[in-house]
Amino acid sequence: MTLLRQYRFASFMLVIVSIIAFSIATVDFLQLFLAVTLAMVSWYITEGPRGRTLPHWLSNTIIVVLLAWIGLGFMRSGELSGAVAALGRFLLWLLIIKLYSRPTVHEERQRLSLATMLVIAGCLESVQFAFGALVVLYVALAVWTAMLWRLHRSYEHGRSSRAASQGFAPPLEIAFGRRATPQFRGMTVTSVLFVFVASAGVFLLFPRIPTMLDTRGPRGARSVTGFSDEISLRGGDRISESRRELFVVRWLDPTREPVLPARPLLLRGAVLDRYDPAGERWLSARSVTGVRTIRTPTEERFVSLGVADGDAPGSVYTAEFEMRALATDVVFTLYAPVALSTTDSRTITFDPATFLIRDASSNRASRYWSYALRVQPQPSGSVLEDISGGSSSASASASRALQMPVPEIRPVAEQILAEARKSVNMPAEPGPDADEAQRFVYQREVARGIADWMQRNFTYTTDLSSIVKVSGEDPIVSFLTRYRRGHCEYFASGLCAVLRSLGIESRIITGYIAMEFDEATGLYTVRESNAHAWVEVRTGPYAWTAVDATPEDSLRELQEQNRSFADNFRWLYGTIEFLWNSRVVSYDSTTQAAIADRVQSGWRTTIGEWLTALNDSLSALTTRLSLGQAGGAWLAAIGVGVLTAVLAPTLLILRQRRIRHALKLDGVPRARRRMLLREAAFYAEALSELSRAGFAKPEHVTPREHARALAERNPDAGRVFAAVAEEFYRIRFGDWNPPAEHADEMKSRMFALRQALRQNPVPKMAD
Amino acid sequence: MALFAARDPDRPRYRTRFMRAGVVYVIAILVMGIASGARPNNLIIWVFSAMIAALLASGVLSGLMMTPLRATRIEPRRGRVGEPLLIRYELTNRSRLIPSYDLTVTEAVDPKLLEPAGTAWALHVGPGDTVHAEAVFRPVRRGAVQLKSFEVATTFPFGLLRKIVHIPRSGDVLIHPEILPLRADLLARVTSGAFGGQRLSAKGGGNDDFFGVREYRSGDSIRSIAWKRLAGTGQIATIERGRAVPPRVRVLLDLRTPTAALRTAPGEDARTLEERAIVIAASTIALADRLGYEYALSVAGLEIPVVALRKGHFHREKIMSLLAALDLDAPRVAGNGLSASDERAALVCVHADRADTAVAPESAWHFTARQIDAILDQGAERSATEPATATPTAGGAA
Repeated sequence: MTLLRQYRFASFMLVIVSIIAFSIATVDFLQLFLAVTLAMVSWYITEGPRGRTLPHWLSNTIIVVLLAWIGLGFMRSGELSGAVAALGRFLLWLLIIKLYSRPTVHEERQRLSLATMLVIAGCLESVQFAFGALVVLYVALAVWTAMLWRLHRSYEHGRSSRAASQGFAPPLEIAFGRRATPQFRGMTVTSVLFVFVASAGVFLLFPRIPTMLDTRGPRGARSVTGFSDEISLRGGDRISESRRELFVVRWLDPTREPVLPARPLLLRGAVLDRYDPAGERWLSARSVTGVRTIRTPTEERFVSLGVADGDAPGSVYTAEFEMRALATDVVFTLYAPVALSTTDSRTITFDPATFLIRDASSNRASRYWSYALRVQPQPSGSVLEDISGGSSSASASASRALQMPVPEIRPVAEQILAEARKSVNMPAEPGPDADEAQRFVYQREVARGIADWMQRNFTYTTDLSSIVKVSGEDPIVSFLTRYRRGHCEYFASGLCAVLRSLGIESRIITGYIAMEFDEATGLYTVRESNAHAWVEVRTGPYAWTAVDATPEDSLRELQEQNRSFADNFRWLYGTIEFLWNSRVVSYDSTTQAAIADRVQSGWRTTIGEWLTALNDSLSALTTRLSLGQAGGAWLAAIGVGVLTAVLAPTLLILRQRRIRHALKLDGVPRARRRMLLREAAFYAEALSELSRAGFAKPEHVTPREHARALAERNPDAGRVFAAVAEEFYRIRFGDWNPPAEHADEMKSRMFALRQALRQNPVPKMAD
Repeated sequence: MALFAARDPDRPRYRTRFMRAGVVYVIAILVMGIASGARPNNLIIWVFSAMIAALLASGVLSGLMMTPLRATRIEPRRGRVGEPLLIRYELTNRSRLIPSYDLTVTEAVDPKLLEPAGTAWALHVGPGDTVHAEAVFRPVRRGAVQLKSFEVATTFPFGLLRKIVHIPRSGDVLIHPEILPLRADLLARVTSGAFGGQRLSAKGGGNDDFFGVREYRSGDSIRSIAWKRLAGTGQIATIERGRAVPPRVRVLLDLRTPTAALRTAPGEDARTLEERAIVIAASTIALADRLGYEYALSVAGLEIPVVALRKGHFHREKIMSLLAALDLDAPRVAGNGLSASDERAALVCVHADRADTAVAPESAWHFTARQIDAILDQGAERSATEPATATPTAGGAA
């Protein structure tokens, strides 16, 4: 039986998918390769011609060793956050061992349970799209496998119970009807669809408690945003370069042409202006006052961020963003944004102190998809004042930009400044009587000089595994004095700390650097690996200038190294991933409430609109056809007529099909078939009556036999049906062409049959 | 008039039960629900939702599969202790769309009478299909077994719920006593006396020695015409020849003594002795039938109809049914159950506890239930099971 043979393959596939899913969730590709290889080999070894399996004692020994190994590894790391990963790893290797065990019913049940637990462990580790797609695949496979498992289990149970009788009972013969396998396939598809639809319903309605929300979520959630609004310098690992495509940017000059030659674009996402020496991290001190809330229009029209539209139109550039995989409420901007446009109406917040924009459309069911910014790369002081609105928060931000609570950096900074002055031409420090403009020029030049010096004397690397944390020493000091190597966050932290120690207002910006430009499309592609940090130095009352100490060549080299053929197709994956992130991963209580509101108010509006449109159409039709006052009645009559004209033939065709099936007229010549459909329909009607009464005629029983069986339970009905069956025999097989009055006689018999069945119902199940 | 109509006892009843896997599954759902609430991970929430959906699907699908299902039992008329009893079930799916899978049929019968040895299972019954599934039982005791109802159940699709249809349907199966292989020479020795041996029939019609002459009848063979007589008398006549008839044996089952009055050894059960006596009687009848004898049964102590000497399948089944239906709790009556006619047949008396020679003529052979081992054919392959009535005990004539 094909169905029973499918089970082993289905369960094996389920296990393979669970292994792949967990390995992708934990981003452990070595484990993926090893585990999948071992699992594949197990199929050949256990199901192959020799059918070898691991002895029980050996598998138990391996499990104990495995448990000890993973347990010791977990205890050595001492990180509680790794408990789920350690547990999942244990489950994975346990599953591999089980694949080599004897495939008993007990072992197979354990395998299915372990595979499910492995996927759940993966869910606690990741929410990334690739894993999510595998979970969806796993659920579909699990439905199929569980259904096959039931059949397999029952068959094995029946077989073993007969085998246990030691030859007393004959072997189990599988009883099954026609088309068992195709019908099973249909039932599987139906069940999978049912599970998906019902689970979507439960997913939408599941109560989400905002206070319990952990914005970080599992590990995969970090990769969703790609950048962070804080910088932690406590890491000692190697940072893997993800090639995930997040969004694309089109950078247009005032004439709406792509800006050439293409230069790296710094896309601002967060401003970090506070250093926490205890936590060894840079934090964002968000403005609480002065934040503006702006509603963008429905159509794609720019809304000003404080500057009049006509202000210096020749210097206004345009940046058009289109999301691929990134779903976030951060609106990445270039310096300095003057206007914003979105494809649909959204609520945004604009912080005039930092020029940061966020999407505050929390009542929307999805994240934004695309937007466009008008930018003045070289803004005048008045423009900046207009944008910032002369807000006090801007000056507060500036005052914070001087605080550096690590005094050990001060002598280091002076030493670096002295060294930098040897190789870079920098202005002298202005005296106390210097005006503000001179001071800002000094700040900009010194910052550029030190950044230039750092680019030449420091090394860029993403591998921090060899860097040993010096106890009691701040990581910025270690970076500046001891190691002089690190990635962009260290460069930005070092530069910002040095500048602040020298009394120069500066802050760290995190976001992305767009470097990958495609001349054919005129688009910059921004990937997860383009996440970047740099420094902004204050160069005016409201002006800040970006200074990047990270060697640009190193960044570009890294970018080129990581390019692969698959990058050409990432846009498609990225688009799907964006939908996953925006619709599934970020579905929260506010989105849920928004959908509820929309459904609540929407259906009334929709029905109202439909009724209005219907009314308008009918009025227009009445007018066009000149039907006058009674136009509605005429139209109703026409509608009923059309409905009848459609329904009547449909019902007739369905009835004829039913009679044809009941009388088994498929091989009968057409003329004869027509006659039988007309004259012998009473027999099909009688069968239908019996079926409704719970005494359906099995296909293998002849009409006479069925009439006899019916007579034993209901003599009256049996007698009538016997007469009907005889008439049917005469017409169907006796070439008898009944006279016209025969139809009336049959009608009276049908009536008698109905009466007999009603007065003395036949027990429904005991036919 | 009653406010509510009484429930029809013959109507099928539908039930749903959680299986052990279902209980574990529900606990897993609860754990996942707590995890989903505590950890705002939408993937966990979706997996939790999918688990709930699977539970719903399990209930809905099993309900859709079982509601249009019709089942009936096709029970055999008789079975035999020690031989498989096959009961067939006809499953008809009246649905037009939904097939039924993994249907198990369970008979509600006392396992002390019929011990299940293999359940009836149908992998699939398609829409409009009728499928036959077969259950195997091991009859434990002789006698009539009442079948009252059976259940059709499925755990499809996921094994979380068991959807059961309880179908009340009465039926009877008569279980014949067990037949043990007796020594083949047993009946030869019994019938070697004056009454039991092979002999000529009192009527002609065979091909052996001369029996007599009778008038010619149309259809008589020309070879059998008595030519000399024709020549002498001018009347056409036919020579009749004798025919051999098989040996005859009558089995007399002595059940005159009430069960409570039987003499038993310590630890020996009186009812077991009686059942063993019935097994010996049945086995003797079966042996006689196999050897081509004419045989009959008389029961002393119980009122059963007189059975004449015959042979053949139907005769044997009639006697076996009589033995199967013997009610040992019925009051015992006087008389030996033998017909008064001058019957020429060897007589085998089977006693429960001890041989009572007064019950039969002097030429009769007597066996007791305790002698069962002595008359068994030890070399023959016995049935797969030991006799269910009792274990043999040291026997011998009393």
